[in-house]
Amino acid sequence: MTLRKLGLGLLASTMLVGAASAATIDVAIDSSPAGLDPHLITAFNSVVIVQSNIYEALTAIDKDLAVVPGLAESWEISADGLTYTFKLHDGVKFHDGTTFDAEDVAASIRRVQSEAIASPLASRVTPITGIEVIDPLTVALTLNAPFAPILSSLSGIAIVPAEVESNAESLQQVPVGTGPFKFVEWQPNGFISLEKNPDYYVAGLPKLDGVKFSFVPESATRQVGITSGEYDLLPGIDPATALQLQGQPNVTVQETRDIAYTLLGMNVSREPFGNPKVREAVNMLLNRQEIIDAALFGMGVPAGPLSPALVNWAVDPSTYACYTTNVDGAKALLAEAGVTTPLKLKLNVLPRQDTRDIAQVVQQQLAAGGIEVELINQEIGQFVQDWRNSNFDLFVSANGGSPDPDEYFYRTFYGGGSTNVFKYDDAEIDTWLDEGRSETDPAARKAIYDKVQAKLACDGPAAHIAYGSLNTAVNNSVKDFVIFPNGRLTSLVNVSVAE
Amino acid sequence: MSHRYLISRLVDLAIVLFGVSAIVFLMIRLIPGDAVAIMLGANTEVTPERIAELEARIGIDKPLLEQYGRWIWGVLQGDLGTSIWTGRPVTQEIAANIWPTVELTLLSILVGAGLSIPLGAFMAEARGKGAEVVVRIGAIAGLTIPSFWLGIVSIFLVSKFLPGVQALGYVPFHQDPLGNLQRMILPVIALSLPMLANLSRLVRSAMLDALSQDYIRTAKAKGAGRRRIIYKHALRNALIPFITSVGVSAGYLLGGAIVVEQVFAIPGLGRLVLGAIAERNYPLVQATILVMTAAFVIVNFVVDMLYSVIDPRVTR
Repeated sequence: MTLRKLGLGLLASTMLVGAASAATIDVAIDSSPAGLDPHLITAFNSVVIVQSNIYEALTAIDKDLAVVPGLAESWEISADGLTYTFKLHDGVKFHDGTTFDAEDVAASIRRVQSEAIASPLASRVTPITGIEVIDPLTVALTLNAPFAPILSSLSGIAIVPAEVESNAESLQQVPVGTGPFKFVEWQPNGFISLEKNPDYYVAGLPKLDGVKFSFVPESATRQVGITSGEYDLLPGIDPATALQLQGQPNVTVQETRDIAYTLLGMNVSREPFGNPKVREAVNMLLNRQEIIDAALFGMGVPAGPLSPALVNWAVDPSTYACYTTNVDGAKALLAEAGVTTPLKLKLNVLPRQDTRDIAQVVQQQLAAGGIEVELINQEIGQFVQDWRNSNFDLFVSANGGSPDPDEYFYRTFYGGGSTNVFKYDDAEIDTWLDEGRSETDPAARKAIYDKVQAKLACDGPAAHIAYGSLNTAVNNSVKDFVIFPNGRLTSLVNVSVAE
Repeated sequence: MSHRYLISRLVDLAIVLFGVSAIVFLMIRLIPGDAVAIMLGANTEVTPERIAELEARIGIDKPLLEQYGRWIWGVLQGDLGTSIWTGRPVTQEIAANIWPTVELTLLSILVGAGLSIPLGAFMAEARGKGAEVVVRIGAIAGLTIPSFWLGIVSIFLVSKFLPGVQALGYVPFHQDPLGNLQRMILPVIALSLPMLANLSRLVRSAMLDALSQDYIRTAKAKGAGRRRIIYKHALRNALIPFITSVGVSAGYLLGGAIVVEQVFAIPGLGRLVLGAIAERNYPLVQATILVMTAAFVIVNFVVDMLYSVIDPRVTR
């Protein structure tokens, strides 16, 4: 054989060796996580990796966004709504081999509450004023006032081993939970690998031997990778990629309504947005369906303040008068508010393809009413800094959403709320939000949030634009994967791979 | 080669590295949005105390000059700093990511430089013929097509026509030799093509130049064979510009590797530095760019030394 033939043979054989199927799946995500401590992380990629895979909480959220048992197999609520007594699962072990018990629950909640750790989740547990370990498998939490969303809030509080309570560093690199998968290795620029937790307390689960999260920044690369079988799962893909992958024979695109949404934010502390009439006029100038068709390839629904994925809470947006596009009405409102047009403003844009596209359509629609906006396409660091410091006239961005209305509304629209960057302060809304969190009767609670939604929809500081589709591309060899509206990969515990 | 020449080149090298370290340090800090802002993201549920604490931990609360002084002092002692994101020493992260880049670059030099000699010789010999024109047009195309475009198109084509081929990511050669080579083919093509195009044109013109010289005519008259004339006589004289050019191209390959690694999801230094810039991971950006610059400068230093060995006139 000549050298040339040998070379060609080697080339051909290297090109044709396919992937051997293994019971490990490869999930391609767009960037490295920013740390792994479940009480400190905020980046979506970090949360998707650790929550429900490595860590579990007392409660969990199912695919209908309802609260279901997690590490607590059951709970009782006292008649006054102030004490929640949780019965914990027996025989649960942490990945380091130690046994999970009520002390770990107490330590985890204390850790989130502690000022030294400064957890961004702290506000979720502020109503908890007493933690009592009754026995190793029973723990009681006492609240300062009835707080309806507490069970939903607890689903986000990962249970960590009691020994790490005051540790602010090690969990960022090596997570230790009770979940179905154990942390193995983090190669910062390449991947995170998890392996099956052989001691998982649910018999027969997980079915996979492991999960690898590959960090693949290029969208085109992820797309090619799933068609070639290199990757098994692409969570949260954009509409354009979803449309292209729908035609591929070995890939299924799962679609569900997203609880995350895009919005046009207005700075109430800057003129003319202090006037509710101006905010209403902005809403009347928008044509949400046109935005969805142009920027989201038709994949989405017009957004009210709550996602339709929250089936028990969301009000149909078509009932809001200001959602009917009405340029003349908007001009009249602006005139009533004493605004002289053309009004020149700046609009900060989150650097993401969908938000950029949305911002362009919004610019055009506002111009029809005499509001001329200059688009400021910012780099992420600058966008976040301006957003945090309320240094904007308008912005187009995307928000995560929450399964319980209180979690979203209170921090976002309550006067002085922790993510109320709009500087919105409305006494009526504050009163309703206070009532909403202490009301435990579901029907009465729903009535309160109906009022909140109706008011926020038209003269709130955020014009909610669209709830897109949450698309996940799944290789057909992956069985039993179900996408959850909150984007979590909770169902990986049930996933298996076809031979 | 004189010692004086060597020393003066070493001093140049130190000055360049020092200058680059200062420029990189300042540039990364000119990008809006600091490390803490990126770490906390769109999360305002954070007290100013926590922000101050994070700034102090990272060390960005100090004046710029002091930060630079501390960093450069550490570098001189072999301490490149600690990654803000993972808390691991930067040297560890660079070590974990250096091999894919080294392999990719070496293979690309091997392919680009190796193939350019026969290709350039062919172009010189077949000057003006149809086949030569085709190759020449191909070379111009190779110079102008960007690596990232070539990369994306090639993975699309492979995934469409050769499904099942592992074209993305990286596995170390010692773990899975076939898997390693399979994943290297497309990135090496994407990366080496511009170099191949450039060098083969250079070999062609050097060769044409050499072939018109009197000594070649003499060699021909003495009855030397075609192969001997081209590879022994003509090529030898084309070698100096060739080696210089390989050295410079090798440096540019590092830049190309950043893009190619991104497209092919290869966990190398290029992706490390891109990710680090996005995260404002200052110590990691500074150290990685310093290492890459050092590699560039050292390659050129070695080329210069080689050059002076081949042609002693340059050191005079």
